Amino acid sequence: MRNLWKNKGFSLINIGGLAIGLASCMILLLYVVYEFGYDKQYKNYKSTYIAYTNMKANGKTFSWAWTPGLLSQELKENVTGVSNSARSSYPISLLIGNGENKLKNKGMFVDPAYLKIFDFDFIDGTSDNILQNINTVILTKSLAKKLFGNHSSINKIVKLDNLEPLKVEAVIDDIPQNSSLTFDYLMPWKLYEKRETWTKKQGWGSNFCLTVVQLQNSNTLAQVNTSIKDLFHRMDKDQENELFLHPLSKWHLYGDFENGKSVGGKISQLKIFLLLAICILLIACVNFMNLSTSRSEKRAKEVGVRKAIGSSRKSLISQFILESTLLSFIGTVVAFILLEISLPYFNNLLNINLIIQYNDWRYWLTLICLILFTGLIAGSYPAFYLSSFEPVKVLKGFSIKAGSAFSVRKVLVVFQFVFASCLIVCTSVIYQQLNYIKNKPLGYNSNGLVQLSAEGNLKNLQKINLLRERLVKAGAVTNVSTLSMSLSNGGNNTSGISWPGKNPNTSVLFNNRAIGYDFVETIGAKMVEGRSISKQFEKDSNSVIFNEAGIKAMGMKNPIGKKIKWDTGENVIVGVMKDFVIDNPFQKVEPMILYSAFKDNVSVILLKLNPSANVTASLSKIDEIVKEINPDYPIDREFVNQSFEQKFENEKLLGTLSNWFGGFAIFISCLGLLGLALFMAEQRKKEISIRKVLGASTGNILTLLNKDFIKLVAIANVIAFPLAYVIINQWLSAFEYRVAISFLPFSLAIVISVLIAILTVSIQSIKVAKANPIDALKYE
Amino acid sequence: MIQLNNIEKYYANKGVKSYILRHVTTTIKQGEFVSIMGPSGAGKSTLLNIIGMLEEPTYGTYEFLGEDVTTLNERKRIELYRNHIGFVFQAYHLIDEMTVYENIEAPLLYKKIGSSERASRIADLLDRFNIVAKKDLFPNQLSGGQQQLVGIARALAAQPSIILADEPTGNLQSAQADEIMNLFKKLNQEDGITIIQVTHSEKNATYGNRILHIADGVVKDDVKVIV
Ligand SMILES: Nc1ncnc2c1ncn2[C@@H]1O[C@H](COP(=O)(O)OP(=O)(O)OP(=O)(O)O)[C@@H](O)[C@H]1O
Ligand SMILES: [Mg+2]
Repeated sequence: MRNLWKNKGFSLINIGGLAIGLASCMILLLYVVYEFGYDKQYKNYKSTYIAYTNMKANGKTFSWAWTPGLLSQELKENVTGVSNSARSSYPISLLIGNGENKLKNKGMFVDPAYLKIFDFDFIDGTSDNILQNINTVILTKSLAKKLFGNHSSINKIVKLDNLEPLKVEAVIDDIPQNSSLTFDYLMPWKLYEKRETWTKKQGWGSNFCLTVVQLQNSNTLAQVNTSIKDLFHRMDKDQENELFLHPLSKWHLYGDFENGKSVGGKISQLKIFLLLAICILLIACVNFMNLSTSRSEKRAKEVGVRKAIGSSRKSLISQFILESTLLSFIGTVVAFILLEISLPYFNNLLNINLIIQYNDWRYWLTLICLILFTGLIAGSYPAFYLSSFEPVKVLKGFSIKAGSAFSVRKVLVVFQFVFASCLIVCTSVIYQQLNYIKNKPLGYNSNGLVQLSAEGNLKNLQKINLLRERLVKAGAVTNVSTLSMSLSNGGNNTSGISWPGKNPNTSVLFNNRAIGYDFVETIGAKMVEGRSISKQFEKDSNSVIFNEAGIKAMGMKNPIGKKIKWDTGENVIVGVMKDFVIDNPFQKVEPMILYSAFKDNVSVILLKLNPSANVTASLSKIDEIVKEINPDYPIDREFVNQSFEQKFENEKLLGTLSNWFGGFAIFISCLGLLGLALFMAEQRKKEISIRKVLGASTGNILTLLNKDFIKLVAIANVIAFPLAYVIINQWLSAFEYRVAISFLPFSLAIVISVLIAILTVSIQSIKVAKANPIDALKYE
Repeated sequence: MIQLNNIEKYYANKGVKSYILRHVTTTIKQGEFVSIMGPSGAGKSTLLNIIGMLEEPTYGTYEFLGEDVTTLNERKRIELYRNHIGFVFQAYHLIDEMTVYENIEAPLLYKKIGSSERASRIADLLDRFNIVAKKDLFPNQLSGGQQQLVGIARALAAQPSIILADEPTGNLQSAQADEIMNLFKKLNQEDGITIIQVTHSEKNATYGNRILHIADGVVKDDVKVIV
């Protein structure tokens, strides 16, 4: 205890390093626990599964959680091992209102069984006999509050889409943030069938809903999966798709499939974070070891005396471990303060809500383990090293030779810098990749492109034409068009297209989109040949356009004028569009077929802002005109480039996190280096003074002191580079479009790590280098 | 060569000035061999350190080679160390991690002397001091006398015009001390190197040609040694 106080500076560096290390580690662990907790809030999560469809097309297998509407019933009734099953639609943003208080919120249509599979927390009402009636709804707590304030909402009527009156049957607690189910209210599947009449008539080839399945026993998954694999084919001879169940607990983290098999997903990113957490903690421990051993020579005398007066080696070791555990305890307390201060920031950054579970015993257990682990790891080496001093040697005047302790310390510094330099390389490649993808041409011009969601009157083509006229006349926009899906989202696709010369055994998947007039002009895309859909051609109802990738997939020469068959209808190719990115900017553009939105096939209206007009003014004009044409709905518009940004969230998150925690790791390493340099300079004080009277300048001395450290950092870089290369190459391989790994990140790592080392060492040693040499030489 | 004018040195402690040197005024010419003597605590080392620019006087002026060095910048002082002044210490102050050869080489490296010139100078010195056989040994493998020889060789390597030695034989037996003193005398007479040494030994002082007696920070006596 007295010891810690006596060496305040040392203890400060030590505790500070530990605290930052621990805090970073804890934040990362909280995040990892949060991610691992995904979808595990439900009592039956272990026996709950999501039905997936495997579809072979374009030479690969696509796996998605869309299934036919007929599946749920079939599974429940005719597959052994299945205890329950329910359908749900994907969450749809719809207008829901209590009188004039109307809000756009996410709703889902579900079978009543859905509420048996997921044990939602009912605040009002029960899960029995619920959603049986077509005009019913279940609200989440926060939506109920938004609609009804503090009044009870049970049995009140809300209106869906200004149309459907729904009776509130129950209120459930809000869905936790780490749940893949995201909705604000639930409605009966029957209502879905009423609103979307086509869903009733769909067979086994149409995948439009999510099917959740509960098994009697989770051990039977393999059996069930074998028995249902060819279920689609059994039900309908024309169907080649395969079916399998994917555990709910893996839905979030294991979302990637290759050849119909789960190949991980977000879990790999999480593993990186876990590794990062462990490494940062280790680095902090290494620091501790470094600082303790470097200070140990100063304490050698104490050890010698203690040994001389009969302390056993054992009791010395336990004393050191106790001391380091005490330090790590203090470090933990400081870490908590840091954690509480920084959590809001990180929550904001990650857009999640991490909290410290103070009332969870597991949390405290982990914490205690963490403290003990740190104390043990950090204290063990110094303890054994110090306690092994020979008392006689120590008391006779201990001289430190460049011996084992120092080389161990060197190894530790190398380890720290291997880590730091790896992180620098990886982070810069992540940023390069992000930049590369962001700057890759999209194939269209997203600047000043606004997407307006088409609801109410705006689904009507006449009204859209009216809107176009008025907006253009007002000078707010230059072009208006429509699309059957949001421009920045994936969506409908079809394999039902055939053309002369198509191999009947292969299936090619085309994204299909209905477009309005002037689509190409509005988004600023390019035609390769032929024409687009336009107003002059009134009979465009059977004209189609392909993108280049589509033409290539069909292997067609001179496509203009050729005929293709789509399901039962015959269409003529009138144009070929240059490829443009709709869904995943990291992957190659998929084949696409575009056709005229002659029916009510509109989900967004695209507006190209007038480049010569003020943006704010144009937007307010747009809002004004839209409100006039479509008064019943709140305005829902977004800039395409902003919604496109969201596609980079994962990569950005990875970048930001590795940036931050890499920064922390480097900072902690610097603290360690600082301690080591402090010790080195102290130890070489006499030598430095001698050199000074021999004519060495301050620069000479700094060079001398830095040389050793730079050597270490150089070695660390040499070790780090292949390591970083392997890691980052692995990460990049997930992207079809990726930057080439250049020298830049590596040179950056060298420059930064060497610079950091020089700075840290110099800050410490300049004092010694500038000191009057006589001070060290005078008293011998 | 050295001109000290009214040099004073004191340490102020809680407002009380404790004087270590007072009114020291003296001139040391090129080629002199001066011994500074006096009781312990008299201020001998302090005076030598001031001459060696390792300490600054609190008052007075000091000219070295005709240049006022009381307010000398670091770069200039390093120049002087590299080219004109060689130090010899009572505790030898060799660098433990370096061999005899490397110790002697060190000042030459700072002086940026070419490698062949360096090698020949070191060979010369090793030869002259009869320590060729020891050149690859580390300081702790040498006797005290041998270590001091290396210390002097190192001081001479840069071919200084003056050597400042603080009790160079303080840790040595008299036979070894005589050897060192003879060496100094030879250096002084044959190479014309100015030597200032601090010593407690009357006998050692007689090797030189002038003695400064100091007591309580004041020069009490300045005598020529008559052979
Ligand atoms: N930093 C300091 N602060 C206060 N007093 C000091 C300091 N350095 C030296 N002194 C004092 O200055 C006086 C002269 O010291 P100096 O080392 O010059 O003596 P010396 O004549 O060389 O003695 P010795 O023969 O024992 O080596 C001593 O009394 C010493 O206590
Ligand atoms: Mg002295």
